[in-house]
Amino acid sequence: MRLLYCMYSERISLILSKANVKEGDRIRLETERGAFEGILMPRPDAGDSNVIVIKRDDGYNIGIAFSEKCIVKKLESKKGEFSFPKYEAKGNRSLPRISMIYTGGTIGSKVDYVTGGVYMLTKPEELLYEVPEIYEMADLRIRNLMSIASEDMTYKEWAAIAEAVADELNNGSSGIVITHGTDTMHYTSAALSFMLKDLNATVAITGAQRSSDRGSSDAFVNLVRSFQVAVGSDIAEVGICMHSSSSDGRNYFIRGTKARKMHTSRRDAFRPVNSTPICAVDEGGKLEYMSEYRHKDNRPKKVKAVTGFEPRVALVKTHPNSDPGIIEYYMSKGYKGIILEGTGLGHVPSSPSIKDLSWLQNVKRAVDAGIIVGVTSQCIYGRVNDKVYRNLRLLKEAGGIHCEDMMPEVAYVKLGFLLGNYKRDEVREMLAVDIAGEITDRSVADFDLV
Amino acid sequence: MRDAEYYKSIGFRCGLEIHQRLDTKEKLFCSCTAGIAEDKAIGRVERFQRAVAGELGIVDPSTRFEGMRHRKFIYTIYKKSSCLVDMDEEPPHGLNKDALELGLRACAVLKAAVPDEVEVMRKVVVDGSDPSAFQRSMMIGFDGKIEVDGKQIAVPSVFLEEESSSIEERTGNIVVYGLDRIGVPLVEIDTGPDIRSPQEAKNTAMKIGLLLRLNGCAQRGIGSIRQDVNISVSGGRRVEIKGFQSLETMDTVIENEVERQLRLIEISNEIKGIDVKGGSIVDLSGEFDGIDSGMIKDVLGKKGSVMGVRISGLGGLLGREINEGRRLGSEVSDYAKMAGVNGIIHSDEDLSRYGIDAAMQASIKKRLGVTGKDAFIMVAGEEKTARNALALAIGRAEMAKEGVVPETRNVDSKKNITRFMRPLPGGSRMYPETDAVPVSIEDRYYTEVGKGIVSEDQVRERLIAELNNVQLVEQLIWSRELQRYFRITEHTGADTRVVADVLLEKFRELSRQGIDPYSIDDDVLEDIFRRFASGRITKKAIKEVVRTMPKDAKDVDEAIRGGNLERISGERLRKLILEFAKNGEISRSEIMSRYGFNIEGDELNSII
Repeated sequence: MRLLYCMYSERISLILSKANVKEGDRIRLETERGAFEGILMPRPDAGDSNVIVIKRDDGYNIGIAFSEKCIVKKLESKKGEFSFPKYEAKGNRSLPRISMIYTGGTIGSKVDYVTGGVYMLTKPEELLYEVPEIYEMADLRIRNLMSIASEDMTYKEWAAIAEAVADELNNGSSGIVITHGTDTMHYTSAALSFMLKDLNATVAITGAQRSSDRGSSDAFVNLVRSFQVAVGSDIAEVGICMHSSSSDGRNYFIRGTKARKMHTSRRDAFRPVNSTPICAVDEGGKLEYMSEYRHKDNRPKKVKAVTGFEPRVALVKTHPNSDPGIIEYYMSKGYKGIILEGTGLGHVPSSPSIKDLSWLQNVKRAVDAGIIVGVTSQCIYGRVNDKVYRNLRLLKEAGGIHCEDMMPEVAYVKLGFLLGNYKRDEVREMLAVDIAGEITDRSVADFDLV
Repeated sequence: MRDAEYYKSIGFRCGLEIHQRLDTKEKLFCSCTAGIAEDKAIGRVERFQRAVAGELGIVDPSTRFEGMRHRKFIYTIYKKSSCLVDMDEEPPHGLNKDALELGLRACAVLKAAVPDEVEVMRKVVVDGSDPSAFQRSMMIGFDGKIEVDGKQIAVPSVFLEEESSSIEERTGNIVVYGLDRIGVPLVEIDTGPDIRSPQEAKNTAMKIGLLLRLNGCAQRGIGSIRQDVNISVSGGRRVEIKGFQSLETMDTVIENEVERQLRLIEISNEIKGIDVKGGSIVDLSGEFDGIDSGMIKDVLGKKGSVMGVRISGLGGLLGREINEGRRLGSEVSDYAKMAGVNGIIHSDEDLSRYGIDAAMQASIKKRLGVTGKDAFIMVAGEEKTARNALALAIGRAEMAKEGVVPETRNVDSKKNITRFMRPLPGGSRMYPETDAVPVSIEDRYYTEVGKGIVSEDQVRERLIAELNNVQLVEQLIWSRELQRYFRITEHTGADTRVVADVLLEKFRELSRQGIDPYSIDDDVLEDIFRRFASGRITKKAIKEVVRTMPKDAKDVDEAIRGGNLERISGERLRKLILEFAKNGEISRSEIMSRYGFNIEGDELNSII
């Protein structure tokens, strides 16, 4: 719930409330510099809280310094807000039934024209209002699950999304499109890849790097492409469907355990790491399959959401001068697993000139205490190795499990998933073995690094 | 030309929007170069844009119009002058402080008040010219004024905003925009609707441009200033005109636009009380059996269609002339063209030109239900395109009742008339730029950046003192090289008359010889004059060094040596003259013909 006179100083708030003026009202502001008329705007969260912002008739906002001599008069109350046409299930049953699960994120962000802030849409129909062609592609079901920014996602939301996917698929939908914030989309895609057992449908996760209030938003293209994959492909996997390049047109569908956000702001931020996209989908909806994938089959089996997750798993980055004491901290907090993001082939500092900075003892101590320690690389691209150098062998002897070509974030999600659903000995066996496409045996040479 | 009385009698009202690029190194919200130098294209991106519900959920009329056109846009990316910010791939960086200062200086020139806090806004752009679909803009001044020929013209608003991109190619529905100029800082200066004649409009535009140049706000070069003109007459509505190529023809274009508006009002008066309405669109492709030539035959041959519609109540009026060689039908046609067709065919044309004989005409009229006072319009082309085009044409034809349609129009500089570009945008095009923070403007700061503002008269006075030649001074004041004149004379100490002569006369000569001296770098030009001031080259050699367009100071010396342009003076000159003397009589003309670039004539005379 937003406060009245959000971001204005107490001084101004008092005057405004005395004049019975609310944000959005048309006011007249008389100052020593002259009179100003316009709509009272809430203050942006930056800037001087003693400056009143009004929207002039020409649409421009200007800030006018407030002094005790200012007189505020209300001219007109705030006009009614626009409400989007209500979504009506047009239910064209001749089309494949696809469920869209809405979770929030930039794809569902709009400028609040009154406050000037970006807010999350609470109604997916506001988004679909801009992309009517989706109704011609699918018999659409909308599941309004949550509306949160992806940096706020936890394993509880992953579980809720997995349950919703299973529920939709087990009740007649033939494919799923999930809208999601981009920041942690690849964590969610990994989590769903592990959690959805016996998946026999396409689950396309998509989002936007530019909010959908601008005509240039990538949201529209991403949504349409995701539906094209969900409707037209025979892929029985979870994947991320986002721009393949800075241009609008062709999207990639990247395996959920092999995708990573590699740019803070570009449309084509999601890249396949240590793999090739499963497919590309172009403007006309044509699919180009680019690598092996699990195909849909005619099994009548239902998909099951296995949603156990152990939250006491840490992802720890080593670097020059890094303090291995962090492991003791996690041990003291009762953690069950640690994924180390080492350097190069999977090194941690092992025999530094400053003895206390060696990680080997602490890793060994953690393993001895029953904590599963996985080793990945901050190189992101490539495979770790436990043999090439002596220090790698020492780390293996200390009990670290080298996680092949699995990305650190995916290893983190996997370890949490395993510890939430399996016994410790099983976890130790399963961590470095492929269960959802997260590990490949061969390091194929046909992917781009950028 | 009509007089002021005439314009008063028709209720002529006019206001200007002057867009002047500011002389900054970097763009407004990123560190790309804002210079005008040549740059290298390094790639292209393709984008689609949609009409999104704007502020208060309303899709702006101009936005919706563009949305109907389903256009794909292509953007060219340049190495030095575009980055991810320009491509809508990264949030804006901080506001360029130099640009803000120059903008505020422009406000000081126009005696405008400034807000205590500047709020950055997004102005929705619907023609694809901005990859983000909006332009960043902020109001930095209000309540300003300017005196033109003794009359006060109000300047209610001054904005600081981003330059748009330029169209590089246009084929069918695809437009290619260059991202080199997008985001370059500019000030937009709006006058009130106080201007009362086309001549006054021209004088006001000239005056504002001059004051900005005199006070160091303006980027040099062609295209760095643009003027949009808003015009209305009694009984009409406001029309915005863009794309004036030169101030020379501004008054003529305005006169013709006034003519057009008056004719449209006349037409609307004639059809008062008549129901002007488009019927339903009919496929007429089957009506042209045996057509033996022309565009219709070609279109049908390519499996296209001819679609037609009746416009009731408009019979005889589509052919009415509104400008020389332009009819109401031309206006309707310009709307249809937006859908990607070449134009329309209408009932007031000589249809035999299209190979449509009397029998065909009769059957077309019958199919469309055209009687007595009705008109009809046809469009030939691919069926969907033709239908879209007709829908647009019907919309415009029905608006004939309204007289002047609120539009943004473009100058056709060949004919000095205006043509339809898009509907005039409504008011719901602005919303806050949430990625930029407000900027507070303290009084002290405004006073500081406004220091040393000069008026036209002050500059004239100074130049007359320096040049002692009224004609030269007037030329220089209105020249785009004025700022360089000041820079060079202040920095190098070179003789003022020589500098003025080179910048005006010699530059013009070079330009006639196919060389572009105007784009020479400021610093390089200064270096050349520095060599002149220190006696290394002669007055005459300056033009020769400019001709070779050195890239930096080192190259200036290179050009001097390479062109044998070193000045010969003092003892060396004496020796040279003696050598000539050995061979008999000293011939001044012979010496000058061989060493004209190396010897100052005065010095030679005094030695001889």
